[in-house]
Amino acid sequence: MKKFIAALVAGMAISASAQAADTLVVYSAGPKPLSAALAKGFEAKTGTKVELFQSTAGKIMARYQSEKANPHVDVMVSAAWGHAITLDAKGELMAYTSPNAAKVPASLKTDTYVAQGAAALAIAYNTKSGLPAPKKWSDLTKAAYKDQVTMPDPSSSGSALSLLQGLVNKDEAATWDMFAKLNKNGMIVPGANKAALTPVLQGAKGVVFGAVDYIVLGSKAKGESIEVVYPEDGTVLAPRPMFIPKTAKNVDAAKAFIDYVLSEEGQAMVVKVLLMPARSDIKAKRPSYDELNIIEFDQVEAAKNAAATKKKFADMMAAKG
Amino acid sequence: MTKSTGKGQSTRLVLSLLSGALLIVIVGLPVLAILLYAVFPNFNTLSFAEPFSKLAPSLADHKLIGATINSIELSLGVTLLSALIAVPLGYFRARGAVPAGKAWDALFLIPFLIPPYIGSLAWMQVLQRNGFLEQILGFDLGDLLYSFPGMVTVMALHLFPLVYFAASRAFSLIGSRYGDVAKVFGGRPLSIFARIELPLAIPAILSSALIVFILTIEEFGTPEILGRRFGFEVIVTAIHDKFTNWPIDLSGASVLCLILIALAFIAYHLHLRMASRFDTSVETGTMSPTASHRPLIQRAAILAAFFAVTLIGVILPVASIAISGFMTTISGGLAWDNFSLVNYAQIFSLGSDALVAVGTSLSLAVAAAILTGVIALIVAFAVVRLRGRGTAFLDFMSILPNALPGMAVAVGLILTWNLPIWPVSPYNTTAILLLAYLCLMLPYPIRMVSAQLRQLPTSLDDAAYISGANEWVVILRVLAPILLPVSLAAGFIVFAVSTRELVSSLMLAPPGVETVATYVFRQFDQGDINVAMAMSMLVVVVSGSIIALGQKLQKDQKT
Repeated sequence: MKKFIAALVAGMAISASAQAADTLVVYSAGPKPLSAALAKGFEAKTGTKVELFQSTAGKIMARYQSEKANPHVDVMVSAAWGHAITLDAKGELMAYTSPNAAKVPASLKTDTYVAQGAAALAIAYNTKSGLPAPKKWSDLTKAAYKDQVTMPDPSSSGSALSLLQGLVNKDEAATWDMFAKLNKNGMIVPGANKAALTPVLQGAKGVVFGAVDYIVLGSKAKGESIEVVYPEDGTVLAPRPMFIPKTAKNVDAAKAFIDYVLSEEGQAMVVKVLLMPARSDIKAKRPSYDELNIIEFDQVEAAKNAAATKKKFADMMAAKG
Repeated sequence: MTKSTGKGQSTRLVLSLLSGALLIVIVGLPVLAILLYAVFPNFNTLSFAEPFSKLAPSLADHKLIGATINSIELSLGVTLLSALIAVPLGYFRARGAVPAGKAWDALFLIPFLIPPYIGSLAWMQVLQRNGFLEQILGFDLGDLLYSFPGMVTVMALHLFPLVYFAASRAFSLIGSRYGDVAKVFGGRPLSIFARIELPLAIPAILSSALIVFILTIEEFGTPEILGRRFGFEVIVTAIHDKFTNWPIDLSGASVLCLILIALAFIAYHLHLRMASRFDTSVETGTMSPTASHRPLIQRAAILAAFFAVTLIGVILPVASIAISGFMTTISGGLAWDNFSLVNYAQIFSLGSDALVAVGTSLSLAVAAAILTGVIALIVAFAVVRLRGRGTAFLDFMSILPNALPGMAVAVGLILTWNLPIWPVSPYNTTAILLLAYLCLMLPYPIRMVSAQLRQLPTSLDDAAYISGANEWVVILRVLAPILLPVSLAAGFIVFAVSTRELVSSLMLAPPGVETVATYVFRQFDQGDINVAMAMSMLVVVVSGSIIALGQKLQKDQKT
């Protein structure tokens, strides 16, 4: 016990002095194997020590906000493009264009933030459920899928919000009509991405409307009876933004980190966890830009109406089906 | 009782100041930070601009009224059900009506070792469509699980041990002498219980019921997992949405925390008013419970009740978690070829973070249990015995961290300890986790120890004072030994809850440090649910063994 307290005190003393210029503080959303590999690779390559705080996208943003009186973080990786849009609108992000970003598609980069990689939104269904394989989003309104559909809540899942925005952007009337029918068909909206996927893996439900594909692909690789369908009427991407806050202390290392993530070595790590790489010249281990029918829309513009879109969706789902 | 020498006065002052200072540093500062953040939306940048500008917009949401009512209904339901389950069990345990008492105590601690969200998931796994129940017996109870009664039951099965421990301690402190006297005068068992024993135990029971009420109001995992399925929104889910949903609104979330603080304040005062109607102190010290002579049928019925509660509240969820831990794939279900050790292999694999995380969590939990025990003794003495000015405030302050969501406490701790003004700060070291656990867990031992201290007659203290002892001697040599059992019981609860504390750990863990809960959560986040279940099972077994060992040592010491 005494030893433990002594270790704590020693730890406090060390860390008080250790936030030196030669450390890079990274806050990253999961998956951990990716953020840990990137941190390790960057350390090996540059000799700069990385302090990695890894949590959920919401929690790293909350930590960043809470720390504003005495900021620590040099570079952040979020899972929600919206986080970068908001911070950029408030002027909190440092402009930086990595030389390695040349091959990143224009929709996945701005002056202040750039994608680490991206997931696509898809339909995921349990192959043991005996359900027919869906082809389009609207297929899930059919009687065959009655009480079998789950969807992540656009209020808590940034990717589900992007999907909703993309579909609304493409055909507003048809999209809202479809969601009304999905609600009638017994679709549930149980929470964030995991809350929607878990009951489908367990067999309590059959299909996810708007699953984050790389997680499902990972589960499938581990032997789960689950299949991913990219609807032929198109889907949206959920890019993962990287950015440097203006309060960063170790700016050079932060820029070097972004360069590293966008290097061939860094992108290979992104590919390994079954995400789409940010660079279009790197080959993915999964369907990528050329194979997917991607709905392009102005995310910054859509973000301005996000509150209204989310509310309309929530009201619609609250109606008794 | 009154001691007016100058030396006594100064010791009393030191004790009052010490308990005040401890509570203010551990509990007061983070709570104050949240209050300031609610009033000053830019407090995180240390700016006091635009005061009160967030209050109205954050409270204007029409859904908040419904959510507040839901929160109150849920908490009342869980508190009542917990008391219904726990008070009879605690009574019979104290009266020695059930064999192997310590074993039941250990069993009833197990629900605490399971994080609420894992527990809810375990219940889903059993009861939902195509769940374990349907796979074995052919029917599901999903509709019951996703309903108000279902959710109340799940939460009460998780929290009733708090009331059980308080009740059984209280009843055993009262002893059976009062009942025996009444029996001699022709009192019937039920009326003896209702008119003599229960009223004497009520302050301790109310005190634990208050904690259950407040913990339910603050609980996030179960309403999030079960409540959302039937559209049941509570305050804490609304707060959590503001904390984590884009765009994040920390100040707005802090405003909503005010509702929880207000509810806790009301509950606290109601509990005080109810408790004050009952005489608390018993005129005898500790008395060993004597096994009463009950007819065989009655004893069998009591034993059956203990078994039933254990089966539903402990064995069923633990079995669900254990089974999942052995399942290779989630979608494979209950099939022989789907069982393997791959999940445990991953946990025990070389260089795995899992075992390091177990070590970190266990050391933190032990430290938290010991420190909270010591602090609780000092605070309880100051609040119950010294009754100086401001002690009521101290007492209320000590429950505040439990009324706030873990996320709010975490934000409060960052706001406090990340300030550049501290020469040395625990922030960004493992010490901040210990501080967070102290802050979150202190209410259990404080409530349990002070409730018991209220029951103890002051005659013992007086005897010691007359013999020339000062307050320190009274605390250490007179009260501490008597309060040791309850402190240990509280310590086990703190230990159990600390090993699986999730939300503040996720926010506060310094870079590179993992605890059990963050490890489990990360596995979930990556979709490795069964690895998470296996890890939870490992923790239940390891922490459960430590608690069992502790209880055995305690027993050996007594005899």
